[in-house]
Amino acid sequence: MRTIGYRIGAVAVLTATATGVAALRQEPAPAPAHPFAHTAAAPAGAPADLAVRFEALLGQHSVLAANMMRSRVRGDDDFAQAANASLGQNTTDMTALVGRLFGTATAEKFEPLWSQHIVALFAYAGALANHDDAAREEARDELAGYEIDLAEFFAAGSQGRLPPATARSLVVLHVQHLTGQADAYAAGDYTRSDEQFRQGFQHTYDLGLGLAKALLPPSDSGVLSEPVWRLRSQLGKLLAEHAVLIGDATRAAVTRTADFTASARMLNANTSDLAAAMDTLFGSAAARRFQQLWGTHVTALVSYSAAGAARDPARQREARARLDKFHQDMAVFLAGATNGRATPAALRAALVEHDHMLLQHADAYAARDYPEAHEIAYRTYDHMSSLARTLADAFGASVAARLPKGAAQTGHGGLADVVGHR
Amino acid sequence: MPVYARITGLAVALALVLAAPSGRPEGAAGPPTPSVVPPAASPAPADSFVSSSSYPSVALPVRLRIPALRVDSRLIDLGLRPDGSIEVPGDASVPGWYDGGPRPGQPGPAVILGHVDSKRGPGVFVDLYRVRPGTLAEVDRADGSTARFRITEVSRVAKTRFPTDLVYGPSLDPTLRLVTCGGSFDHSSGSYRDNVIAFAEAA
Repeated sequence: MRTIGYRIGAVAVLTATATGVAALRQEPAPAPAHPFAHTAAAPAGAPADLAVRFEALLGQHSVLAANMMRSRVRGDDDFAQAANASLGQNTTDMTALVGRLFGTATAEKFEPLWSQHIVALFAYAGALANHDDAAREEARDELAGYEIDLAEFFAAGSQGRLPPATARSLVVLHVQHLTGQADAYAAGDYTRSDEQFRQGFQHTYDLGLGLAKALLPPSDSGVLSEPVWRLRSQLGKLLAEHAVLIGDATRAAVTRTADFTASARMLNANTSDLAAAMDTLFGSAAARRFQQLWGTHVTALVSYSAAGAARDPARQREARARLDKFHQDMAVFLAGATNGRATPAALRAALVEHDHMLLQHADAYAARDYPEAHEIAYRTYDHMSSLARTLADAFGASVAARLPKGAAQTGHGGLADVVGHR
Repeated sequence: MPVYARITGLAVALALVLAAPSGRPEGAAGPPTPSVVPPAASPAPADSFVSSSSYPSVALPVRLRIPALRVDSRLIDLGLRPDGSIEVPGDASVPGWYDGGPRPGQPGPAVILGHVDSKRGPGVFVDLYRVRPGTLAEVDRADGSTARFRITEVSRVAKTRFPTDLVYGPSLDPTLRLVTCGGSFDHSSGSYRDNVIAFAEAA
């Protein structure tokens, strides 16, 4: 069974090459529908929109690659197979996006390089699982080669805007995060593994925006530095990370694996970061209220998952009831914070959908239906990215409405003759 | 090594993996392999999990120091006037922090205003126009901590085209903006025609 799993996994990784290039010739998939469609600016396909999508896909790649490597280390072939399928989907989506952003020729060069570094990561994790130091070194050498190739590819595409040395250091760090988290996971050091996991996600997410800025002409990339785009990117990263980490924590809770405590620590760090962001946007009182409500949601999801492992349906019903209340309370809170720019009904529907997918995700893990679990996780990530965009725009507009008006009158003219001649 | 050579090598390696008995050697240590989830015999850590209820708060700013400009002053708080414009310090020698925005070092743009002059002499930001990229600006906070920033850019803009979005606009980058007046003085309105804005990022 294990051998078959590896074979299918390897094939899944390798076939991503063909499917990805084929996707370039297809019409772009429509953006995931969400209940905010009437209030959100629909993705227009502008380069800046695609760049934000690109960073989300790169961040997702980091998570899926880490999951694939961890499952290989655990010797959990079914899981590894499902993780590989998601990774292949991510590569396909990313290649299609590269095609839209930078052209088909660029995408056709990108995809094999990208797929090959995934195959090398797959081999690295297998060597770790088998305690085969020689194979691990061989995979490490392979990865070093792809680091150079990918860096050269990105640097060449940037037309001088991204120096090769910088490109290489960025790619090297990405690979180091992935191999580092796998090394630590294999050693049972879940805290260190999760630190690398989180840093890897954040680095890769940011790397996506950095690459887009470097590869796009300045006329297209300039807007990405403007506050509205920065907020979309940053809130997108925090909420996408929430989707990733709550999925990981519920997986660990359902399967009662030893990495739960470290996973929960990461999840809490993300929740704190989200509260800090709310403090920036709406002040400390709102941030405390947000964290209280958000914490209810996180705690209930973990409780639901743990109750699944304990075969305790009463506790699961209780968790669902707490989530119902959360949907109502958080929708009212966010609608108030945004002065109605996001309506309570639309917010509640989006939150219900988010938690519905996460509950399904936990159930799929409990049933060891890993393909289903990964497919749901992929949709949850997309949904979260879409919701994050809507929230970022509603938050941004709400804050903008109360910013100081006009310029600052910070002079009285005592030095007018001097100041005026500078 | 060329790509095609590495692909070939990798294919061989994968073939060996597939052919050989795989998985963890018998008796080898490693993370637990999950099996079908058994009913819990004892409480697991997840059973008692409670989400975090706090976040790192950033203390209020109390002092601004820009050694290159010989600025070392306490800070006052600034809010909004009834007409929605920003308050300015009453004392030209003391800068003020806009308390409707982020605190320095918190995610987001913190904004500090200072006068270029008073009616009789220089103000605390009289030399802001000549600050260079890379210059250090430090903000001491009420809890004894210090947020450090490096100037990245200085620009002079007409007040009629004040870039509200770039100065105050919500983002989560922990940045600092220093604002004063510049350009020619309009005696009829009693104010300078331009603002000088220094943009700084976390050091």
